[in-house]
Amino acid sequence: MTERAQIVIIGGGVIGCAIAYNLALSGADDVMILEQSYLASGSTGRCGAGVRQQWGTRMNCILSRESVRRFETLNDTLDYPGDIEFKQRGYLMVAHSQKEWDQFQENLKLQNELGIPSQALSPQEATEIVPILNTEGLLGATFCPTDGHCNPFYVTDAYAQAARRLGVQIRTQCQVTGIDVKQGKIRGVQTEDGYISTPIVINAAGAFSQHVAVMAEVEIPVYSERHQILATEPVAPTLDPMVISLSRHIYCQQVPHGSFLMGLGDPDELKSTDTGHSWQFLHNIARHVTELLPPLGELRMVRQWSGSYNISPDSQPILGKGGPEGFFLACGFSGHGFMIAPVVGEALAALVLGEEPPVRISQLDLGRFARGDLIREPSVV
Amino acid sequence: MRISEHPILKFRRGHRVRFYFDGQEMKGFEGEPIAAALHAEGVRVLHYSEAGRPRGFFCAIGNCSSCLMMVDSQPNVRTCITPLRAEMDIRTQRGRGVLSGEQSEDRES
Repeated sequence: MTERAQIVIIGGGVIGCAIAYNLALSGADDVMILEQSYLASGSTGRCGAGVRQQWGTRMNCILSRESVRRFETLNDTLDYPGDIEFKQRGYLMVAHSQKEWDQFQENLKLQNELGIPSQALSPQEATEIVPILNTEGLLGATFCPTDGHCNPFYVTDAYAQAARRLGVQIRTQCQVTGIDVKQGKIRGVQTEDGYISTPIVINAAGAFSQHVAVMAEVEIPVYSERHQILATEPVAPTLDPMVISLSRHIYCQQVPHGSFLMGLGDPDELKSTDTGHSWQFLHNIARHVTELLPPLGELRMVRQWSGSYNISPDSQPILGKGGPEGFFLACGFSGHGFMIAPVVGEALAALVLGEEPPVRISQLDLGRFARGDLIREPSVV
Repeated sequence: MRISEHPILKFRRGHRVRFYFDGQEMKGFEGEPIAAALHAEGVRVLHYSEAGRPRGFFCAIGNCSSCLMMVDSQPNVRTCITPLRAEMDIRTQRGRGVLSGEQSEDRES
């Protein structure tokens, strides 16, 4: 007997689960998620858990602003018995060079125009928000009080539970080995456990999205890059917002549990789906973070891990149709997929069902690379 | 209560020194684990969890976090593996430690 589904989503991260929930909510039947490991096992569960709206492109600003609105009420929307732990303690973005500061002014203009309540702060004002901040060499900072952080495991679980209640089938430990394309149309998906006949496949495979795209005979211009994170022992609440420095490629926050999480964008990192880690990272991040937030030098680290950024040429996601009829892309999130997942889930579902998406995402299609319509996001770590 | 004779191990003892536990003067041997000196002085509770449960000497090898205390203003010091020194100011830690904002070279890493 051949199994059938109306829509197959490849990838059980926050993106795949959010899309599945919204599809089912809009009345789609027979939606199936195929996840090669467990839910949130890839980039979602490995991310820095930040939610920020202080971006430099219109699309990233809108997607994150709309997602923040949804995070604020997500427990209720999804009828989640737990708590997704959305805490809006802001993001403080620090500038140490004139170039960075000029870019921030431009970003602020765009953000404020789009209704994002970010503001410029003097070094003195920045220390009122983060007393442990070292202001040496600091030109200024921008702060958005409604940015924050959220628990990626709980968010994924909340979407997955709500999706299941609406009839979505979620298969974990089920690897996709091929996609059946005939005469330019999606026909089905081959998995380790058998063949599933379907007219629609959504590629939400995160770090592996380029491999999945190749199965559908499409090349997408993304690659995966390892990003590492360090977690310290927990201490009493010390740091409210996420502190981020683009020129030093670091971000650092204290999670509700008391641990500090910090990550570093290293240009020499492995360009692959590798999720190992290195002592060199510990050395680098400890040096940079204690320079910016000196009292953290007292803390011991307790663990480290890594995950993949799936990076697109303009650091904006690729959303929409691509390749054969019935094939959709939700990938290339470039390190900020988690924070925009709520609205991406709605938009992709609408696109697949031929409805009007809540946010116009047509300029994030795969075609922009061929058209040369790139709008590069300047503000990534 | 200290082991003074052991069939295999030899204990080289440091000087008898003064230290403070929650402000109270106590004596111990320099170089022995802080938790051992406290135990010999009859101190059994080293730390209170976030929920207020008392925690004592447990794994004794620096793994379990049961003996975390404030030592010379440094939070989360693993007293079971940190050597005692004269005049140390050792305090019961309640819940999460608080960052002091002062760097210490003494800190076990």
